[in-house]
Parts: sequence; C-alpha cells; structure tokens
Amino acid sequence: MRFLPYILKHLRRNWVRTGSTILGMALCIFLFCTLRTVLRAMDDARELGNVTRLVTRHAVSLVYNLPLSYEGQIAQVPGVKRVAISSWFGGSLPAKKESQDARKGAGGQPDFSNFFTNLAVEDEPYFAMHPEFKVPDEEMKAFREDLRGCIIGRALAKQYGWKVGDTFFLESFIPPYRRREGPFEFVVRGIFDADKVREPAADDRVMYFHYKYLYESTGRRVGAGLYVVELQDPNQAASVAGAIDKVFLNSEAETKSETEAAFRADFIAMIGNLALLLNSIGLAVIFTILLVTANTMSMAVRERRTEIAVLKTLGFTSRQVLGLILSEALAIGVLGGGLGLLLSVAIIRAMTKVPGVSGFINGFPNFGLHWSVSSQGLAIALFLGLAAGLMPAVSAYRARITEMLRQV
Amino acid sequence: MSAEAVRQPAPGPIVDVRNVRKIYRRDTSEITVLDGINLTVPTGEFLALMGPSGSGKTTLLNLIAGIDRPTSGEVVVAGTDVGRLSESELAKWRSHNVGFIFQFYNLIPVLTAQENVELPLLLTSLPKKDRRERALTALKVVGLADRAHHSPRQLSGGQEQRVAIARAIVADPAVLVADEPTGDLDARSAEEILALMESLNRDFGKTIVMVTHDPRAAERAHTQKHLEKGVLKA
Repeated sequence: MRFLPYILKHLRRNWVRTGSTILGMALCIFLFCTLRTVLRAMDDARELGNVTRLVTRHAVSLVYNLPLSYEGQIAQVPGVKRVAISSWFGGSLPAKKESQDARKGAGGQPDFSNFFTNLAVEDEPYFAMHPEFKVPDEEMKAFREDLRGCIIGRALAKQYGWKVGDTFFLESFIPPYRRREGPFEFVVRGIFDADKVREPAADDRVMYFHYKYLYESTGRRVGAGLYVVELQDPNQAASVAGAIDKVFLNSEAETKSETEAAFRADFIAMIGNLALLLNSIGLAVIFTILLVTANTMSMAVRERRTEIAVLKTLGFTSRQVLGLILSEALAIGVLGGGLGLLLSVAIIRAMTKVPGVSGFINGFPNFGLHWSVSSQGLAIALFLGLAAGLMPAVSAYRARITEMLRQV
Repeated sequence: MSAEAVRQPAPGPIVDVRNVRKIYRRDTSEITVLDGINLTVPTGEFLALMGPSGSGKTTLLNLIAGIDRPTSGEVVVAGTDVGRLSESELAKWRSHNVGFIFQFYNLIPVLTAQENVELPLLLTSLPKKDRRERALTALKVVGLADRAHHSPRQLSGGQEQRVAIARAIVADPAVLVADEPTGDLDARSAEEILALMESLNRDFGKTIVMVTHDPRAAERAHTQKHLEKGVLKA
C-alpha cells in the first residue's frame, strides 16, 4: 500500500495516454458485459418455457401460416389436452399522432418505435392453458363479449398509461394483416398480471386480442400463425410432438412441433447466429485492447528505464520493480474495468427504455447485468492489465542497472 | 539527521578494493576496463577519482556502490564483500549502506522534492509520518526545505542536484558515491554542490567517493586518485 501513491502518480504522468488506455479498456469491458448480458438473456429465454405446452408451427419457417383445419386434427392426437391458435400480429401504434386518436379515425404508417408484442389468440383455450396470466373474472368476461376487446399486461398498461376502457389503434407491418380501411381498433377490456413464480418466462408486456377479429377483418383469408398445444402428460412431450408432425407429413404445410423452450430458441435463431457474432465481436475487441494496453505499458516502461535503474540503485529489488510495473498495469485494468462496468450498467438500463430497442429487450425475462457477467468483465480487465504489463515488467526485472544507465 | 546523531568515524577502511579486474565481453572480444585495482578508503574520507574518459572511473564507482560485480577480486564495503551477495541481498545492502549521487540528478519527475527524498525510506519499516519528517530533515540539510513540495521541473539544476543529495543521505548510508556530481552544472551551482559535499564530509562524517573530470572539484577532496586505462596511479 505504501507504493500506491507512487503508482498512481506514474499513471498521471502522461494522462492523455493513460486516459485513452483506460477508456479503451472501459469500452472493451462495456462491450463484453453488454454483449454477454444479451447472450445470457437469450440463453435464459431458451431455458425457460413451460414443459406442459408444445408449439406447432410451419416446418419451413415461422413466416408461413398453417391451415385452420389443422386445429381439429391436432386435437385428435393422443396426449393432446387443448389446442389454441396464436398468431403474431406485429402491430405498432400508427406513426401519425392524429391516427392514434380514435375520434379522428384510422390511417398512417406504423411507428416501429412504439412496437410491442401483440398476439391474436383463441381466448378460451389459450387462457385456460396459460394460468400464469391472472385476469379478474369480470374483465375476462368483458373481453370475451367484445370482438375489438383486448387484454394487456400490467407493464404494457403502465408504459402507455392505458386503463380499462381506453381505445387505441394498431397497424401491422405484415402485409396480409393490413386493411384497406386502416389500422385495427382495440378497446382495453382487461389488464393481466404475470405470475412469474409459476412461469418465469411469463411476460406482462404483451397484448392479446381475439383471433376472430383478425380473421374476420382480413377477409377470412389468414391461417394460424402457430398452434399452442397443451399436453395431458408433460413426460410425453417428445412423443406427442412427433405424433403431431407425423399427421401432417407429406402435406402441403408440414409442421414442426417442439417445446416452448425449443421454440424460443428457434425464434431467436431467426436473427441469425447472433451468439457467434456477438462472441466474435467481443473477442476481437478484447484482443485489440490487449495490444493497445501492452503497447502503452511498453512505452511507459521504455521511457522510464533511467527511473527503473535509479529505483534499483536506491535498493529496490528486481521483484519490487516488477511488482510496481504490474501494479500500474493492474491499476489501469481496475480503472478501465470499473468504468466499463458503470457504462454497461447505464447502457443496459437505458436500453430497456429506448424506443424500438426496448420492445426486443423487454421480450427477454430477467434482462439485466448479472453479477457473474460483471465478475467476468472485471476479471478480463485485470487479466488484460496483467498480460499487458507482464512483458515490460519482466524486461525491467531482468535489466541490469549499469546497462540501463548507460543507455540514457 | 542532526550533527550530534552522526556516527563517529570508525577506525579502518570502509572501502577495501582488492585486486579487482573487470572485463566486458562483447561477442568474441574482451575489454579489460579495470586491471588489478587495489584501493582502500578510510572511514570519513573524501576521495576524488580522476582520469580520462574510458579509464574505468565510473566502473570502479559502480563496483563500490554495489550496482555492478567484479570479474575477479573482492570489493569489501562497510565490512561486506558485495560480490558474494545475491541480487536481492545486494539491493537490500545498497539501501542501507550506499547513497548514490548521479551526474544528471535522476529525480523522478512525477514526484515532488520531498517524495523523491522519501523514496529510499519506502523500503524501510518507518511509518509515513516518520518518513515525511526524515525527508524534510534531509531537505533542510541541503537547504531546500522551502522547496519540499516543488516538482523537479520547478527546480534549477543545482537545486535538483541538492535534492538528489538529500535522497542519497536520507537513509544515513555508510558511503556516499557521486558520479560527476557537478558535470551538468554551471560554475556557481557546482561550487554550491561541492560546498555541500564538503559539509557532509566535515560536519556529518560522511565517507565520500567522487568521480570527477574537474580538477577544481577534485581539489575539494582530501585525497585524489588517478585511473588510466583501468590501472590506478598514485
């Protein structure tokens, strides 16, 4: 500890160089922590998901709908308790403010910064197989009696300040779900709370409305986005999924049935191999910062060869000199790592509020900087600092006083 | 460091260089820098080592200071054969027994004068308060207590060298070695530094071994020795 002021003074010697190295290190740790947080959230999303339910979708892609006739056939498969249609509507509030006003009618392009998850479902079977969504009975009754009615999650209601009885419009970005007469009008009939103890993946930033409304408003031409299937026995998930897919084998629209967890993984994979991409970016940044920091430390030590000789002349052992240089490098790691973590916390918090991004982020349960990710980030910062300082420190350790003084 | 607290000169030599040879090897060639040097410096002596460039003055000084090792022979300083010590033992020995004064002062530019002087004391077990006090006392001895918080950049060459001398004496070493301490100074500053070194020798009993090119500087010493081509002349 008695050497700490000496180490800190040296860091301030060339503050532009030290500052830029610390900033570079901070950027590296910030990127690492933020990317790892996104990847962790994706992994969590894959692992969570109810095992009592299957999802049956088009075998080729989620983009394609399935025929409505499949519902009855799926219900006939042994082991299936209930089936419900669930279609991703892809609706956003219209961009023009006047179009968001119910009194002035509909129209305008969707505003994707106001995007949130909205699903057209068959209400009765869907909510029966999703007991984690808690809706008061009278609100559920009102919802069922109103074709334009919708049920929204508590967080969504809070985000837009909606309450029961409020009206709003949604315009879908999916062409078959767009109407010539303009956006869909909805009336909030109920607000649900998600029971995250029962179902950790339950999301209360979602809106549900009647599939019938979508079907009838689009000229009865659209199919089902996917079918959610409740199982009689969770242990039979694999065999029931296989049996469902077997029914539609060699048909015009073959199916792919999987557990909710696997479905989430497939849904995320639509973005591409995001994990590989994010990991590659992280590694590239870490390697670059290692080179930058190593260069900084080498320059710092090269400039101080005389000082190192003086320290050794005064009686500092080679090991103490090595320790001083490594401590200096470690201090850069600690400062850079700490700053990077702070930056990461701030950005991750901000991401959940940024229009456009928040819709994607809020879809992940438990999105936030986890202690294990911060620890990894800090460990990387310390490792980078040590690794960068090692070569110059060893060189100073080995250097002989007379040689260093002679080079001046 | 008060004059009362100064050690009384002990009888016998504090530096005893016996038949020392120093050979530098580069590739296949060998350069003999010191060739059979014998030198005895009594305690409390002020010795000037003179000689032309390349005569081996600085090499001999480095051997006495324990920052280099002889190829053969013995260098006994303050009762210790420095050639027999390991690197870490030698470092510890230097911190207790030798104060080194460089030609170019070699102060640490990011530290203040007081912090520079305090540097050797970081290796002792002294608490911070005592370290500060001793550093300030050393600065008082060299007449720079009022510049304690100045950085080397804010000091003149002569003042920097005085701070360097304070750093050399702060741990109260047995021997002060100075490598051309006035070589980078103007005449007036050089005179001040030489007066200070004389005072350290006279009033505080410090043994001083000084390498110099300057005959006027050498005149301030009690004894002068001349080196030529690695051999000590009378």
